Amino acid sequence: MSQDSLYEQAADTYGSSLDRLARAYELDPDVRRDLLQDIHLHLWRSFACFDLRCSLRTWVYRVAHNVATGHVIRQRRIRDRLVSIENIEAMPGNDQVELAASQSEAFERLSMLIQRLKPLDRQIIVSYLEGMDASSTSEITGLSPANIAMKVHRIKNILRRWFEQATFDEGGLHAK
Amino acid sequence: MPSEFPMNDPRNIWKNQTTEAFKMSADQLRRKAQQRQKKSRFEAVSSIIIGLILFGFFARTFARVHEVVPRMGLGLLGLWSIYLAYQAYKWFWLERLAQDATLNTTLQSYRSELERRRDYARNVWRKAGLTFVFLGAAMFVVPGMIKSLDAPRLLLLNFGPFFVLLALWCAIFFPMMKRQQRKLQQEIEELGVFERESRI
Repeated sequence: MSQDSLYEQAADTYGSSLDRLARAYELDPDVRRDLLQDIHLHLWRSFACFDLRCSLRTWVYRVAHNVATGHVIRQRRIRDRLVSIENIEAMPGNDQVELAASQSEAFERLSMLIQRLKPLDRQIIVSYLEGMDASSTSEITGLSPANIAMKVHRIKNILRRWFEQATFDEGGLHAK
Repeated sequence: MPSEFPMNDPRNIWKNQTTEAFKMSADQLRRKAQQRQKKSRFEAVSSIIIGLILFGFFARTFARVHEVVPRMGLGLLGLWSIYLAYQAYKWFWLERLAQDATLNTTLQSYRSELERRRDYARNVWRKAGLTFVFLGAAMFVVPGMIKSLDAPRLLLLNFGPFFVLLALWCAIFFPMMKRQQRKLQQEIEELGVFERESRI
């Protein structure tokens, strides 16, 4: 397959995922648009040497996360304030369990949590939210599946703390 | 599979966000790639021109000064400006253009970017050619200072502002580089822990 057709296939299949991934790394819509363009450009360029050593999905996510991580690394002031999953897990939860009033607020909350994380932890949480299993995430990040599973366990604990006290009905999220 | 978050699965919230159907055509991609290349080259050429202008300035001063030591100092500063132009060429022209995120896992890629930045902060004397600058400036300035020792007021007026600025720059730049290096090293060590845990 040619570089162009590989890109077409990747953009068609993973376009929405890439958009969500860019949102995990950049809040500002204009900067995010640039980041997304950058991801697509790198992806297209990368397909010149795609050698089927890994699946298309792994390749797409690797390139996308690498570009987005580079973006975070360049923002030194922001990077200095980022924390790990373990740090968040260790934080007292009282300030975080205020209930989300709507689905959009719940999304904002989730987005805020992701934005606070260091790049590698961010990659893991995004992969988890995208529904990937530990071995797929491991292929992308280079961490062992056991390590990923441990991190995902922590992520679930954090998310449970943030979300379990809310119920979801037709109108959105409400306190139980 | 039943959701582990029966009330409200964060994965659903994540996946239900509105996304844009973003896709670039082959033409757009090629144009964008060319624009990037042009931008990188423009940055490289501008930095090279700045380096050459500095070189011209030092060469001109070199021709006007007749003492040996200041001339040697100016020679070193001239060499530094050429080195600066070369570094700009290497950074903007070669490295940025080759920077394709491909085969590496995100961990390797993240680590190598952090190491690259840490190494720059650690070897800033060599990488930014500061040794040339300081040595060259000292060789150019000190003979003039020695000559002015008999007139302390003149000495203060001529060299005072230069040393105040230099001291300020040193007081800000070096601690900043040290702090940056420490933070990057810390991040690299955290990644090292991940890697070790992954091998177990």
